[in-house]
Amino acid sequence: MERRKFLGLGLAAVALVPVSVSAIDFRKEKPDAWTAHKVDEAIKALYGDVKAEDTDKITLKVPKIASNGGAIPVSIASDLDLKSLAVFQDANPESAVIAYTIPENGIVDYMVKIKMKGSGEITIVAEGKDGKFYKTAKKLEVALGGCEG
Amino acid sequence: MGNMKIKAKVKGDTLKCKVQAKHIMLPYNAAKKKGVDANFITYIVGKIGDKIIFEASTSQFVSKDPIFKFKAKADGIKKGDKLEMTWTDLSGKTVTESKKIKGL
Repeated sequence: MERRKFLGLGLAAVALVPVSVSAIDFRKEKPDAWTAHKVDEAIKALYGDVKAEDTDKITLKVPKIASNGGAIPVSIASDLDLKSLAVFQDANPESAVIAYTIPENGIVDYMVKIKMKGSGEITIVAEGKDGKFYKTAKKLEVALGGCEG
Repeated sequence: MGNMKIKAKVKGDTLKCKVQAKHIMLPYNAAKKKGVDANFITYIVGKIGDKIIFEASTSQFVSKDPIFKFKAKADGIKKGDKLEMTWTDLSGKTVTESKKIKGL
């Protein structure tokens, strides 16, 4: 079975795969999510007008004080059955940072290093396979802003 | 080794991966100041054979020479299997590299 490269096509990926929604390039499918300035707007552009419930079932780890704003380690883990998970922050000109599509055999346990211009709050919004949306957020301080390359 | 440092190891029933790509990840603001085009990885995917085990759409706010750590269930992974990582950036460049999975 071929789950093929949707990179150049921009088509909805659901056609071939019954349960999981893999092979999604969110940048092509939801371009507005990446230009939205405010976190709420970006969430809306990515997922629509959804009501995400606060959950403690997604673990978000960020340093309380990030010494280097250019490389802040963000760890996300969850046992929830999720389809996708997106990371936003409110310190940069645009708020969307990264959006993961969780594959069938995927385990939600990610670490990524991100840039933040200054102190702020990181918000995670995730789409569950149950159709519900979940969110969690953490504030952090950034000692040296890291958006300027 | 190429552009990416790929580490993939099976421990018990979990595959643990750490990938670092070499990329300037230059955001629009910084690019403007330098008088060049912004360029950053916009999409990254990890596959074992035909199966996608990691996938993310990324922005200019992921760090330079980004590191991604992720996990997947190890069932079905056999000795000799490789983790194939592909990234695409704003300029349209695509890089694919693979590494044999350890621990099997």
